[in-house]
Amino acid sequence: MEFGWSVEEEAHRARIRDLLARTLPADWEQISLHGPGSDAQTAYAREFCALLAEHGLLVPNWPREYGGEDAPVWLQFILGEEMWAAGEPRGGQYMNINWVGPVLMRYGTPAQLEKHLPPIQAGRSLWCQGFSEPGAGSDLAALRTTATPVEGGYKVSGAKVWTSYAGLADTCFLLARVPAAAGGPEGKAGIVILLTDMKSPGIQVKQIPALIGEGDIHEVFFDEVFVPAADRLGAEGQAWEIINYVLQHERVGIARYEFSRRILDRAVAKLKADGRWDDPILQEKAGRALMLCEAARMLVYRIVDGKARDLPADAFGSVARWSVILGDHGVNEFMTEFLPEGLLGEDPVQQAHHQRAIAASIASGAAEIQLNLTARRWLQLPGEKRR
Amino acid sequence: MKYELTDDQASVLAGLDQLLGGFDSAPPTAPVLFDYAAGLDRTLAESGFLDIAREDGFGALDAALIVERLARLPQVVEAAASALVAPALGVPAGTRPVALLSGPLTKPARFLPQAQVLLADRGDHALMITVEPDNVETVETLFAYPYGRLKTLDGVAQTRIDDVAALRRRWRTALAAEAAGCMASGLETILEHVKTRQAFGQPLGAFQAIQHRLAMAAETVESTRYLAFRAAWSDSESDAAIAAAFAQTRIAQLTYDLHQFAGAMSMTLEFPLHLWTYRLRALAGELGGGSRQARAAALATWGEAA
Repeated sequence: MEFGWSVEEEAHRARIRDLLARTLPADWEQISLHGPGSDAQTAYAREFCALLAEHGLLVPNWPREYGGEDAPVWLQFILGEEMWAAGEPRGGQYMNINWVGPVLMRYGTPAQLEKHLPPIQAGRSLWCQGFSEPGAGSDLAALRTTATPVEGGYKVSGAKVWTSYAGLADTCFLLARVPAAAGGPEGKAGIVILLTDMKSPGIQVKQIPALIGEGDIHEVFFDEVFVPAADRLGAEGQAWEIINYVLQHERVGIARYEFSRRILDRAVAKLKADGRWDDPILQEKAGRALMLCEAARMLVYRIVDGKARDLPADAFGSVARWSVILGDHGVNEFMTEFLPEGLLGEDPVQQAHHQRAIAASIASGAAEIQLNLTARRWLQLPGEKRR
Repeated sequence: MKYELTDDQASVLAGLDQLLGGFDSAPPTAPVLFDYAAGLDRTLAESGFLDIAREDGFGALDAALIVERLARLPQVVEAAASALVAPALGVPAGTRPVALLSGPLTKPARFLPQAQVLLADRGDHALMITVEPDNVETVETLFAYPYGRLKTLDGVAQTRIDDVAALRRRWRTALAAEAAGCMASGLETILEHVKTRQAFGQPLGAFQAIQHRLAMAAETVESTRYLAFRAAWSDSESDAAIAAAFAQTRIAQLTYDLHQFAGAMSMTLEFPLHLWTYRLRALAGELGGGSRQARAAALATWGEAA
């Protein structure tokens, strides 16, 4: 057991920081203000991801046969830390690298790989995740969007909600249910995953004005949308296995604590500059926020360490997720109490952090689901009787 | 960044487990507030486990691994100060048990009735005080440690140590490592209870209200442990204060929840929970408590005002 970085890892981090310092435009804080899903950030991400690709920093974690470099897990994670802390200049494309690409490599057909991987490798594609519905959020298996088998594919009807990046996405990683009337089994077994072209006739996207930034959440309506069978990922009945694979990659994919830690560092620098850092109350509260960020870091690193050692994923991800939420909230509470002016137009980066932090306990499955999973799978507590 | 134990660390812990296997590690059957394992304490010292941080090729992290493991026992031994604090302050090997104190020198201190030496934080310096058994008055307490106070300071042998920062740094790491072990066993005790105790036709642990708080407790235990180990590894002021702040500020909620889920049974001396929770509650106030450690973490990380 040891908690240091290797020379290679330190050099990798320095290289990324240097690239960011040289590359991000002068108005990056304004661009990133509205979040990774905004028009401005999505447009910039296409430019930035292409540049990362040129430097071999877009998909280095992918296997060589898929255009990557088989880069060690820790190097990829360091890249993720630096990107998220910088306001995620990859925009929504971070999902492509973290889980869309890997899940396609594992479950996709050769034709699907050929169609979807090159645009990801070039930094040109944007995906959205068609999971949540008005009646199925954290309880994903309750989804009702239908995929009725027809000649050559499926007709999809229904609605998705909270879908990040949908307004500008090229492809939707869409979950839908084969209806019972068409022979679909009940529950999780009836779900199919359709890699749906967002330009397909019958898709309508409506942005939802929200506290968490422009372009971040949408409603997506599917009205008899035809999706070719060739765009189904995996076999019918295999979707839940694939979804679990996605969620394992997604749930700790974002180094939220790193952004929180840097916001805290900035805040203290500002408080010092303003002559307020001699206040013991403020110091104590900053220390409390700091310890929450660092706890989250330690637990997330344990998961990355497991990945680096090829250990099977365990329920520790849910333990870590709770810790990450506490870190985001701890820093956000500190900022809101001691630097409210940041949310009054003075600090776009603080506002961006605030907007990420308030979603931390909801996005990718509610915090309470993580607590359930921790209780059942990590602590081996019994299930509650249905009453 | 490696969370896996090295071969040496695994071998040390396996050796420790083997040694512990020769002692009774079941909770005491008599209704006692704590159970000081004098025989185990002596054997640990003789076997060299508590001097590991002084050995070439080993260090504070190896000591913290041992401290955390020992704190899981229902029995109490003085290990944290001997293994983590004493080596950094020039206390000769074998001079132990070690008691720690901040504030007035006649305040009660953990392990003082057993201690050969008392290390005291005096603000701008530390003191190493030789403890004569006749000069110690035992203090009765609910805390699950032996406590005592010095009867007099007259004629007491004292050595000044300038590096008070080292005392605080290692003390913080030590208390975090010890807290991590106590938290783990306290949680384990309650998990066993809620899996078997039935209420309203199902195990207590099936109720979501209880599950969520125990899930939060699990995060507390895991975070405390890894922050403590990182602090021991880096031996930095900042990491040590962060680890101690985290451990101390989480103790109130954790111990409340653990007692709550065993109900009135948890208030009895027959139920072993207090053997860990009343160590934790003692640790919560050391070095001025969690709020002071949080402030120390901030100052160690970002420095004083310009």
